[in-house]
Amino acid sequence: MIRHECLQLLAARMSDQLVVTSQSGQRIEWSHLAKHEGNLLVGMMGCAIGVATGLALALPHRKVIALDSDGSVLLSLFNLATLGNLQPKNLVIYVFDNGVYSGSRISYPTATAGNTDLAGMARSAGIANAHTVGDIEDFKVKGLDALAQDRLGFFVCKVEESLLHREIPRPDTDLTENKYTFVRYLERTEKKTIPFIGRG
Amino acid sequence: MKDDLAKRLVQGLKDAGINFVTYLPETRLSQIVPLIRDDAAMELIAAASEHEAVTIAAGATLGGKQGAVYMENTGIYVSSYGLLTIGKQLGVPILLVVGYLGGVPDQRNSFLYSTIGQHTIPMLDGLGIEHQVIEDGERLEAKIKDAVRAANAQRAPFALLFAGEFSE
Repeated sequence: MIRHECLQLLAARMSDQLVVTSQSGQRIEWSHLAKHEGNLLVGMMGCAIGVATGLALALPHRKVIALDSDGSVLLSLFNLATLGNLQPKNLVIYVFDNGVYSGSRISYPTATAGNTDLAGMARSAGIANAHTVGDIEDFKVKGLDALAQDRLGFFVCKVEESLLHREIPRPDTDLTENKYTFVRYLERTEKKTIPFIGRG
Repeated sequence: MKDDLAKRLVQGLKDAGINFVTYLPETRLSQIVPLIRDDAAMELIAAASEHEAVTIAAGATLGGKQGAVYMENTGIYVSSYGLLTIGKQLGVPILLVVGYLGGVPDQRNSFLYSTIGQHTIPMLDGLGIEHQVIEDGERLEAKIKDAVRAANAQRAPFALLFAGEFSE
């Protein structure tokens, strides 16, 4: 299984969900597969789950999805403990775990290439609906079904390292443009003003 | 901090529009936590790290809340990556309510805190985060409103560093 296969399946299910992506190739692959105003391409490791959690808490009636990687989750393990207690029902997290720091271009192993089990850690932190997904059929069942559930989900998708994203054009919107597109989309679909936008 | 000052601080946050607070407690301002918890107009979220507190508050702010983070100034160091990338680079206003340990006006300053305090403002300056030290209750509510207005205008975090009477 490679990440792109999973993202293709997810992209086909998108309607009004809000999707927060981390750094790594999934940001590029997702922005190419799902051109949607509800995408927030955060683009920094160790931040996506926190931002997605804040969105999920602020908008409990909207489904929020975080796309993350093993290296990024290892950088922000405190998220597991917080989510284990908050249990936002509208948040689903997919961790694409290739076991390497792929973006480093030397593909050195992350802790998950050794003894570390992120899904096990999440369960121990209180996220009962945390699972390791081993192949694409497993992803179709566990991963996609989670979108329809009213329950916090944490899915560690074991993927082969893929460099497909290097053949895909990178997003041509910068972080600020993406943020305003996202916020305007929220204003339109939530029919409310986001306070900090204000008036000039 | 006297109870009256804690109540004014929390009321000031509320009057400035703050309705979502993430936090890690510390020693100088901790009386505000139960006051916020008991106020139905504000959502209080416990975080496990100040970096996490910053990212959750940022997400909530993008989702329509007016977010704040309450932390000790050691948390500025811990969350500096999130403050720079999510706060400054993405451009999300977050009010930082900071216990200013080890700063010159900290009434409980000691060798334990002084190094932390000495580097706090240079750290914020390095991150490009505007800040104000508040030592007493004079114009407290107005200063909080000014800080929230500035954060929103700048689309960036703004730090209020509490010491003086707030650290007694």
